[in-house]
Amino acid sequence: MEVCGTHTMAISRYGLRDLLPAGMRLVSGPGCPVCVTAVGDIDRVVALARLPEVTIVTFGDLVRVPSSHSSLAAERATGADVRVVYAPTDALELAAAEPARQFVLAGIGFETTAPTVAGALLMARERGLRNLSVLSLHKTMPGALRALLDAGESRIDGFILPGHVSVVTGSDCYRFLPAEYGVGGVVAGFTAADVLEALLLLSRQEEPAIEIGYRRAVTAAGNRVAQELLARVFAPCDAVWRGLGPIPGSGLRLADEFRDYAAEERFAIEPGEPVEPAGCRCGEVLRGLIDPPQCALFGRRCTPETPVGACMVSNEGSCAAHFRYRAIAESGGADA
Amino acid sequence: MPDAGRILLGHGSGGRLYRDLVRDVFLAHFANPVLARLDDAAALAASGRIAFTTDAHVVQPLAFAGGDIGRLAVAGTVNDLATAAARPLGMAAAFVIEEGFEIARLHEVCASMAATAAEAPVEIVTGDTKVVQRGAADGLFITTTGVGEIVAEHEVSAASAAAGDVLLLSGTLGDHALAVLAARGDFNLTLDVRSDCAPLWRLVEAALAAGGADVRFMRDPTRGGLATVLAELAEGAALGIEVDEAALPVAPAVRSACELLGYDPLSLANEGKMVFAVAPKAAEAVLEALRGRPEGARAAIIGTLVADHPGRVALRTSYGTRRVVDMPVGELLPRIC
Amino acid sequence: MCLAIPMRITATDGAAATIEAEGLVQTTSLMLVPDARVGDYVLVHAGFAIAVLESDDAAERLALFDEIAGMAGGGESGSGSDSDPDAGRPYDPSI
Repeated sequence: MEVCGTHTMAISRYGLRDLLPAGMRLVSGPGCPVCVTAVGDIDRVVALARLPEVTIVTFGDLVRVPSSHSSLAAERATGADVRVVYAPTDALELAAAEPARQFVLAGIGFETTAPTVAGALLMARERGLRNLSVLSLHKTMPGALRALLDAGESRIDGFILPGHVSVVTGSDCYRFLPAEYGVGGVVAGFTAADVLEALLLLSRQEEPAIEIGYRRAVTAAGNRVAQELLARVFAPCDAVWRGLGPIPGSGLRLADEFRDYAAEERFAIEPGEPVEPAGCRCGEVLRGLIDPPQCALFGRRCTPETPVGACMVSNEGSCAAHFRYRAIAESGGADA
Repeated sequence: MPDAGRILLGHGSGGRLYRDLVRDVFLAHFANPVLARLDDAAALAASGRIAFTTDAHVVQPLAFAGGDIGRLAVAGTVNDLATAAARPLGMAAAFVIEEGFEIARLHEVCASMAATAAEAPVEIVTGDTKVVQRGAADGLFITTTGVGEIVAEHEVSAASAAAGDVLLLSGTLGDHALAVLAARGDFNLTLDVRSDCAPLWRLVEAALAAGGADVRFMRDPTRGGLATVLAELAEGAALGIEVDEAALPVAPAVRSACELLGYDPLSLANEGKMVFAVAPKAAEAVLEALRGRPEGARAAIIGTLVADHPGRVALRTSYGTRRVVDMPVGELLPRIC
Repeated sequence: MCLAIPMRITATDGAAATIEAEGLVQTTSLMLVPDARVGDYVLVHAGFAIAVLESDDAAERLALFDEIAGMAGGGESGSGSDSDPDAGRPYDPSI
């Protein structure tokens, strides 16, 4: 199972499933941070977007994700101010340029992205920028891996471990996988050769173990500076994952020292009860229980152009990745 | 006069200010006998079949590395005519200008249009100007309409394409989209890339001279990129397409930016490229003809039309595996995580 | 997990650095990699360098990639071997 959205995309983009030997099957897990964000959390972002004084600053991936009744794209079309950025530090410039408006950064992402949001907040504090806040929806990986294995629903023989999350966390944090669950993992980079190498290494493991394939960027200990920054600006909290449900300690909220930058404390919003789209099986897809084509909506009501669930919206979502791959197999094209 | 040098509402009114603007700006840059008559309609002579096309241009920012809205407007319309194998006969240009727009900038845009028109070659023979109040337009919108004379006797369209036809692309992908992106300054990037914006009638003329009726389909991959053109071709021809990823020409800066921002070069807009479907026996000759023109220096064979998977476009990766290419969905968004 | 590409540091100015990949220049923060120096290759994500890349085993990795590409039994090796380095290189996402 891969648990990194960029791996999901790489596998689909390079057509790696075509290269696998019989007996080896790739299952996609909860690796796309947009896909695992609970509908209720998207509702909170949309509710903030509706506040007239608020500008939502977000990574592009989030804009088209459906909330219970809307999306940021839909809100923007009816007058909400939604700005897409590549880096959280861009939010600082936006906020500095318009002191009369409130800028809320939607903090989505795992341990790769959270330190960049933390860095941006430190800079905001240093610059005395008060019209910026963060809605932290960040999540951390190890808890999700545990929850997947504890649920024991699908047989996972090994993990392709996330490449860039592991740059920050280091590979040691996964040692519980072989130790407590007898499952091995290889930290992989993102080229086709990297992913294939990880599969090769996994299949050669005589005992389940954690190995680093992506040695040029990942170490056992990880990036200490980034880890310390995370510990200073964020604190663990419980989080709800789409598909996995609540996982204790798997989320990040702003630490006490930075609570004054927390969007949920600065603005009162009433997002209402979350509504999962009827018939959407994103949850089971995210747990690796079904392949996307097994969802009745897949390719019919739910397509990349008209997505119902997050797994189809995000380019890294398992459903979006499968949609592009499946079409060729279905129309029976012979191999080149 | 504090307003000297800026467009006023009066410039769109049809009166003296308007006449002065037409004389000082448009006539000055687009000098030609037909336009000089300033009739309400331009009279042109043509024999045979006519191609007719129109396009609105709303690019932001108005200028970017390698071009501006003026060049874009003229090249865009020339290229649409070219896809129908039509030599451009004349062009109309309608300007909607925002009150307060600097006249000096209008001169720059018109100079650019004139230069591009000379390259094509085509003349701007008629036009119109309206001025709207401040805030009602994004500086400047230009709509160009073109009339051309179809020189090919065969039908150049997706329906003419056949299984086995070879696909050629005249050059590198994504240059225009990234030049505009870089000019917007949103991503704090300096890119070594210029828009490829260029009129392509001469290129198409060379391809037709080399391939004749074997040139079955032509289209320029503008918004929506190569992926959209291929999807349209596959659908219109009711055939499948196989594209060789390793054969696609992409400039280094574009490749780097795509990796950084998560874009697919096949989805990016181009404004100076053409896709051709050519019968196999003429492919080499057409390729050589394309490469003989500066706009086609990087032309390459990129794939073929096949009987398999009709309506679908498949990309063969450099690992020998295959994946589907879809039309891009929605707006261009940076992918981050 | 997220998009990040290797870029070379060409200049530094306190915690900010100018970084380059082929044809692309950007600025980034070195807050997360304070030991990075001019000439280092760093992995850049969302405006921050997150790791300094070790290039020691680069040659070995390239050989490994070629071997794997050959075993995959498909097309050409992924290293984008165009004979004209100034031409638009074929789009190949392999590093």
